[in-house]
Amino acid sequence: MDKKFDAIIIGAGVIGCPIAYELSKIGYKTLTVDKHTDAGEGSTAGSCAIVRAHYSTADGVAMAYEGFQYWLNWEKYLDNVKDEKGLARYMNTGSLLVKSQGHDWKKVQKNYDEVGVKYEEWDNDKIKKMIPIVDLHEFWPITRPEDPAFYNEPVKELEGGIFCPEGGYVNDPTLSAHNIMRAAEAKGAKFMFNAEVVDIRSENGKVTGITLKDGTRIDARIVVNVGGPHSFKINKMAKGVWEGCNIKTKALRHEVMYCPSPEGYDYLNDGYHMSDGDIGCYVRPEVGNTFLVGSEDPDCDPQEWVDPDTFYAGKGGHGKDNVLTEEQWKAQCYRLGKRIPTLSVPNQPKGVVDLYDCSDDWIPVYDKSDLPGYYMAIGTSGNQYKNAPVVGHMMAKLIDACEKGLDHDKEPLQYKFKYTDRSTNVGFFSRKREINYNSSFSVNG
Amino acid sequence: MQIYVCIKHVPDSAANISIIGKNSIDENVNFLLNPYDEHALTEAARIKNNLPGTEVIAVCLGKADAEKTLRSALAMGADRGILIAKEKNYDSRVTALALKAAIEHDGKPGLIFTGKESIDEGGMQTMFRIGALFDFPVATNVVKLDIEADRAVVVCELSGGITHTYEMSLPCVMGTGRGLNTPRYPTFPDVVKSKKKPVQKIAFTDLNIKASLAGMRVIELKPLYQARQPKEIKGDATVVAKELIRILKQEAKVL
Repeated sequence: MDKKFDAIIIGAGVIGCPIAYELSKIGYKTLTVDKHTDAGEGSTAGSCAIVRAHYSTADGVAMAYEGFQYWLNWEKYLDNVKDEKGLARYMNTGSLLVKSQGHDWKKVQKNYDEVGVKYEEWDNDKIKKMIPIVDLHEFWPITRPEDPAFYNEPVKELEGGIFCPEGGYVNDPTLSAHNIMRAAEAKGAKFMFNAEVVDIRSENGKVTGITLKDGTRIDARIVVNVGGPHSFKINKMAKGVWEGCNIKTKALRHEVMYCPSPEGYDYLNDGYHMSDGDIGCYVRPEVGNTFLVGSEDPDCDPQEWVDPDTFYAGKGGHGKDNVLTEEQWKAQCYRLGKRIPTLSVPNQPKGVVDLYDCSDDWIPVYDKSDLPGYYMAIGTSGNQYKNAPVVGHMMAKLIDACEKGLDHDKEPLQYKFKYTDRSTNVGFFSRKREINYNSSFSVNG
Repeated sequence: MQIYVCIKHVPDSAANISIIGKNSIDENVNFLLNPYDEHALTEAARIKNNLPGTEVIAVCLGKADAEKTLRSALAMGADRGILIAKEKNYDSRVTALALKAAIEHDGKPGLIFTGKESIDEGGMQTMFRIGALFDFPVATNVVKLDIEADRAVVVCELSGGITHTYEMSLPCVMGTGRGLNTPRYPTFPDVVKSKKKPVQKIAFTDLNIKASLAGMRVIELKPLYQARQPKEIKGDATVVAKELIRILKQEAKVL
């Protein structure tokens, strides 16, 4: 293999691949390295791949809404590339945000109006008509099954929800990253697997390349950290980068459950993606007519910050390793069981345990670094899958602008969306920012 | 009729099991209801539905945290539970003696269910030992069961999928197999109801099980490592399908 490239991207996940794709399209010779065996096999594989527009900031809403255009026109985005594994499919189920005390839904609605997101307001009757299995009592505040208050009888009713006809999920997140890899390869990008980075080399205050575990040295004037849950470890390999970040990232353990749909209800074909802050769950259909039940990380739930290498090796013990816990299984499924009283909850937990690459304020870092030539698309905090193609394009613009002399720290790049008629200040995602207290500090973003 | 369902609190088959010393495991992993016992509970609940006046009692010999597994059994339809609290693990001989003593002390069994085996030790003895202690007939790997006035008609599955049908007098002991039913898992309202159901706790030592020289003990546990050897079948759809059929027929021998 040619060992000299313009740019090395570390991580062939759903964000690394589009960065490689977009850089290749504008003439950069890229190599993407990944310690796994194929694209999308890292934490991308554990993503719920939800595509929804509700975020706590207008910029967040705009970026997600922009992303819809990529998912809706997937083949066009991929420039009609062929993938021998087939194409991932965007399942446009529509997305319901339950109006609850768990979400600042008024802010979301305001953001929708500002960005021009299409939505409908559904009252409880409409929700019952569209989703007959739900009980629309208010169960707030969120508690755990170990707490006697968990079993309190609800008294009040919810106040409906906000339904976006656009929104849903991608049926195979790993495959979506693989598709983008094939599209990138068609533009000349190279990929290298089973390749673990152990050093980021630099000389005279500029990045010069990477060294792999087997000793292979690969040179490039640009290195992009898209290492997912390993991002903080990679940043620590690069001189001065970790120290130069005001916002740090770390790996948060997260469980997602599969619970069978109640008998007689075809959730797979008739159901919606639903974010329910009243019970701290989000759900989407999964194959086998099951509910994929994610958690919105309510305050009462424990947070386990782990070492990604120990975690993926299956070590660390109960609640810290890569095995679902009965406690969290019951917490998430019983919370959903309040909303759906006919939901049967098996005794054996089933689902996915993986890691979020989480930033201090749950907003990603899409930025350059204090080491010239070294860039970061990290801290995606469990909520950036849907934005991946947009981030790929935005990062390529940022890298290209910085390489051509832009001082992004002083004059942040204004990124003009391709489809949505607005720009976003990329400085919003700066590593130097103070913690953004407007954030939801959760997967909701 | 009183139906006793003997249940076991076992490690989750998905847990990362690690061996401590030579002959025990680190028990700081998920424990749950033995999956074969789920079929027993589902069947007991079905019989109860058809036979008014039936009471379903779940009985478990387990350490203190087995109470949560008893609660799972109550959520699946048992009316009440009995926990025989133990502090160490026993072999199936002692287990059967303890279960028998607790059942006999509690009531008059019309039917006794166990799972056909437990997924942790897989001794497959408990149902026979209970049957022998009570002098009741026993059937195992039961895949169909009809209760008539004073008898049970049971279908048991043997290796290779062969079935035998038996007529058994009541009371009798049934070891339930996977083919019997689809477990009926609890809804949240079932869980809420189960919290109010009674669980009686008996100390194992209060059952006065006599010591005996007969017994089994685990000398050594060894982990079984199975290396995954994934193989990609390449080619167009026809080639891939043909090769897959060949593997399923000749190598896996499932077709």
